[in-house]
Amino acid sequence: MSAAAKTSQAGSRKSDGPSLIRPSRNKPTSLSRDSILGYLLIAPILLVLVLTIAFPLVSAVISGFQDQRIIGTSSSFVGFETYLKVINDGSFWDSLGRSGLWVVVNVVVQTILAFCVAFSLQQRGRWSKSARTWVVLPWVIPTVAVSVIWQWLLNSNYGVLHYLLAEIGINLGSPFGEPSTALFAVILVNSWHWFPLGAVVIYGALSTVPLDVIEAARMDGAGAGRIFWSITFPILQPVLFALGLVGSLWSFNILDSIYLITAGGPIEATTTAPVFVYDLAFSEFRSSQAAAASVLTALVLGAAALLFVRFGRPAENV
Amino acid sequence: MSAVLLLGGCAAPATDSTAAEGEIVIWHMEGVPNRVAVFDALAAEYNATNPDFTVRFETQQWDEIYPKIAGTAQAGNQPDILFAIPDFATYVRELGLGQPVTDVVEAIDSSQGLLSASKVAYQDGGEYWAVPLYGMVQLLWYRKDMFEAAGLEAPGTYSELLAAAEALTTDDVSGIALPAGKNLATDQVLYSLMITGGAANFFDESEGIALDSPETVAAFELYNDLLKYSPEDSGNYAWGEPQAAFNSGAAAMAIEKGQYLTPFAAESGLDPSQLGCAPIPVADNGGQSGSIYYSNGAMVLAEDENRQAAAGAFLTWLMQPENYGDFLNSEPGLFLPVTTGGADLEQWRSNEVLSTYAECVDLLLTQSETGALFGFVDGQYIEKIGLISGQNIFAQAIQQMYVNGMSPSEAAVWAEEQMKAAIE
Repeated sequence: MSAAAKTSQAGSRKSDGPSLIRPSRNKPTSLSRDSILGYLLIAPILLVLVLTIAFPLVSAVISGFQDQRIIGTSSSFVGFETYLKVINDGSFWDSLGRSGLWVVVNVVVQTILAFCVAFSLQQRGRWSKSARTWVVLPWVIPTVAVSVIWQWLLNSNYGVLHYLLAEIGINLGSPFGEPSTALFAVILVNSWHWFPLGAVVIYGALSTVPLDVIEAARMDGAGAGRIFWSITFPILQPVLFALGLVGSLWSFNILDSIYLITAGGPIEATTTAPVFVYDLAFSEFRSSQAAAASVLTALVLGAAALLFVRFGRPAENV
Repeated sequence: MSAVLLLGGCAAPATDSTAAEGEIVIWHMEGVPNRVAVFDALAAEYNATNPDFTVRFETQQWDEIYPKIAGTAQAGNQPDILFAIPDFATYVRELGLGQPVTDVVEAIDSSQGLLSASKVAYQDGGEYWAVPLYGMVQLLWYRKDMFEAAGLEAPGTYSELLAAAEALTTDDVSGIALPAGKNLATDQVLYSLMITGGAANFFDESEGIALDSPETVAAFELYNDLLKYSPEDSGNYAWGEPQAAFNSGAAAMAIEKGQYLTPFAAESGLDPSQLGCAPIPVADNGGQSGSIYYSNGAMVLAEDENRQAAAGAFLTWLMQPENYGDFLNSEPGLFLPVTTGGADLEQWRSNEVLSTYAECVDLLLTQSETGALFGFVDGQYIEKIGLISGQNIFAQAIQQMYVNGMSPSEAAVWAEEQMKAAIE
């Protein structure tokens, strides 16, 4: 480990300040006037959070104990029957599996793209300066437009990409229409849409890496790989951890691009958990089953997030 | 987590449709700009007559209307009028929304004459639940230039259609462009072929599903065979892709509604005379002419009696001959008249698109007379049809054949099982 990284980590051990990763365990022993004022000030946003998160969550849990078909129609209490129906439905677990694949591949592809772009943006020159602006373009394009653009680019009759690849002897076939390729094709579209977010965050984090430390390492004979793994990566770790956690949760919940491009098909090749829940609620009109599936999905997702925090958290606060 | 929020969020109204005092709010799902412009112009014209209640159109999306209307039903702030198709109307009624409009329908029927197919799909329990506004029907569209070059005539039967598709397929051109995505477009084309194959009614006398019949299997088989001559990415096609392939010359045939008329000449660069149209080909043995037929209507959702009366007054005004032609011309060729005299309305027929393609327009009108919609065949009113149509089970059956390699008979059995499960 480099001297800089060691110094940085040692510094963090000595720190008594609050950590983003490990919250302070100090508890106030009595309510002072200031703390009452503090609670009053955050009360409105807490109320908003309760109304917008807790109420729908509790509502979904309760709905899962019912047998409602169309939302808003009458229903009966059926105990755990609806939850058991979802648990025994192989399609539900298949969709969760696809979601897992969706998240992992999206995170890997987006991280690679984001790192490549972030490093390119760090280079000096007119190109990288202007690229800092236009590289975010895929991110700012509305998802509907992104979906339409890629569908047209890959269309077999008039798609530019399809045509260009055909010119060099590559038959693209039907990437969105074949079960074996559809999920990966939509993942690539989604990654293209969202990687600029990661690129901007990583680029920002890279700018915090002390140049003099890198210069010193280089003078000591360290190569680019050694510098990255021993200096840059440890400093980026907290940012990558936060980006990985938030990005994974965000990615897991994506519905719009999948629905717009394939609607979960062909067959169920792109039916991830959110698509499965949406179809249950609004295509099959089984709102209680959809609620039960969403609660179970939330539990699985929560468990996965906890595991990620437990095992993916950087060893020390940098 | 967002899945939970998503579902919970649906319990709340997605759009506030609350109307101002003295205003009737109308939700429609015709978001194409030219249609919106005509609707708004008609509203302005009506409002200029100083009615007790003015009217205002609001555009919604078909993709979103199911959860949206459920949200408004819970919140009690539904629009006063909602455009609908018959299967969607059963869903809306299931939510506890919708008022009988029998008096309005009967008044329009007695003065203008309504086509039977347009109104029966909204009749249940002795009442009408929507005012029919316009019809939509499908035809076989074909490129005359390609047919002439191949020395072919328009196909009239299943086997002729398949033979033509095969003969017209080259390295650069697909014989036909069909949708095979999991969507309503695929449902509609398959059902048209089921109608002309004698499988329009797949419910037995006790409203049980009996899809696994030789006629249905034959239609499934034809569709699957035709897909061999459709573009290789048909598995992701809906409405737009076949039309674009057809107009660009990448496909020689397509089965769709009247929206093919307006853009054909501009997009293909051909003379309008090169657009061929023919009835949907019928089965070789015992087929019958027809097509899927959508009667688009307006449901009155207002609960206040004065608002109901005002909604009825506007719909009656809209159906008057002097206004109806303008309304239909919001999408020439796609919106077909549902009144017996509508076909001869000068205001409608004089439209440039309709007069250019008069022969095809006449054919569309003829097809309207024998059109049908699943769940509403021969006076049926299957209350749970919305639960079936919402899942695109026909389209999924096509995908089972096209992608998963199921045989037509296996796909028919699979679809029947899915439909039975849908209404459990």
